[in-house]
Amino acid sequence: MTGTRIRVDKISKKFNIDFRKNEGLLARVLYFLPRSSPKRELLAIEDVSFDVKAGEIVGVIGKNGSGKSTLLKIIAGVYAPSFGEVETTGTMVYLTGLGQGLVPRLTMRENILLMGSVMGLAQNDIKKKLGEIVEFSGLKEFIDSKVYQFSSGMITRLNFSVMIHSLKHHNPDIILLDEVFGAGGDIDFQKKGIEKMEELIRSGASVIMVSHSLEIIKKYCQKAILLDKGKIDFMGVPEETVKRYLNNK
Amino acid sequence: MNLNFAYYKAKSILGLSLSLAKVKFKLRNEGSYLGVFWYLLSPLAMFLILLSLRGLTNKNPIEYYPIYLLLGLIVFNLFRYATTISTNAIRGNAGLIKSLKINLEPFVISGIMQAVFSHIFEVIILVLFLFYFKVSLLCILFYPVVLFFLIIFIIGVSFILSTIGTYINDIENVWNIFLNLLWFSTPIFYSTSKDIFINKINPMYYFILGAREIIIYNKLPDFKIFLIMAVFSFGFLAVGLFVFEKYKKSFAEFI
Repeated sequence: MTGTRIRVDKISKKFNIDFRKNEGLLARVLYFLPRSSPKRELLAIEDVSFDVKAGEIVGVIGKNGSGKSTLLKIIAGVYAPSFGEVETTGTMVYLTGLGQGLVPRLTMRENILLMGSVMGLAQNDIKKKLGEIVEFSGLKEFIDSKVYQFSSGMITRLNFSVMIHSLKHHNPDIILLDEVFGAGGDIDFQKKGIEKMEELIRSGASVIMVSHSLEIIKKYCQKAILLDKGKIDFMGVPEETVKRYLNNK
Repeated sequence: MNLNFAYYKAKSILGLSLSLAKVKFKLRNEGSYLGVFWYLLSPLAMFLILLSLRGLTNKNPIEYYPIYLLLGLIVFNLFRYATTISTNAIRGNAGLIKSLKINLEPFVISGIMQAVFSHIFEVIILVLFLFYFKVSLLCILFYPVVLFFLIIFIIGVSFILSTIGTYINDIENVWNIFLNLLWFSTPIFYSTSKDIFINKINPMYYFILGAREIIIYNKLPDFKIFLIMAVFSFGFLAVGLFVFEKYKKSFAEFI
């Protein structure tokens, strides 16, 4: 399948900061707070447009606070854009960090079932995948142990195994990765993780990855976007973009 | 939107709701040898206290008073438990909601499922009482009709509360006070022979009335009562779904 999978059309995102949100009902009544309490607007994303074709891997780089994660959240649909629109075709997965929904007081088996359903799998599908996930994590003998007793390395293995298998199950057309690449853990597992990740992103899906690792951007992306204060500063081949980013510093 | 898509969406919402509810249920009983007993302790303690105050609270004797009381308590308890969880349903899962593209309805519905689980245990206690007092057990089979309307009503209220709770973080305290008012204005431990205005506008009055007529007095409630139950439940459901649907897009920014 070819053609444009993601079309980002002049999106902007405004956040109201400093306003007295989270003020409880009691406080509001007591102080007769006016609804238009002092606030500032922050333009986290300003007039950003680009397209991503099928099979294309696009990297997004920029300093902290330049709007990378916000951009991804808007494309994923977690945030609604203030202006402009995003069009996507096909199934989409969005990932930021590992271990969403991990509950330390549950066993590994229960955690796999839970994290799988949080990642959008039906219980039957996760049960079918359970063996494969446990096998990949290399934690077979701990399957009925509670996760709070796991070492951090074991937790990394568990998180990554569930994540990668859930993603593969969805057979996504669009993958959005926010600072997630590879697995961590020891050398063996890292290698295994990167192999799986490569297999996933090169399977023909459109990928947008946010990363601070310029090496990864250069290695995998066909196009890279440099964000600065919410605007596209540069968009082009990764080498060029990375050069600009380093020079701007 | 085609039907097939709606079907899959509903299925995935229910699936995730059930997983979340199961996990919370497990965590609540984790490491406790008495397990589900704790679910029952609070309503049973309340029941015993009110039962022992019987002479003070009721001048006119009520037929099958212990069952009358227990049924009122557990029906109200379902409402109280489910709606209290819902005030924190969105805010309490901020981590997940901010970092995944995920349906938000399961976080609300799972709380209701959790409350229904514990309600089932309470109903089992009730059945033991019915057995002891030799009330016919047949009519409890029709209780799910009332329960159905009650759950629809609770879903509606929960969606409204979880939306408000996303923006205002002390809604739980306000809701607790309101629940106490509602509890006292519902004939749980007393009976009303006259029509009192506060009862007439209280939805819980009709649900408890309907449940009692069916289970204790083995008669079909007035059609009027069913109609009022349906109006309250589907009315609140419509408002709840509308409010939640309208505001859910910006939830992730506020938590």
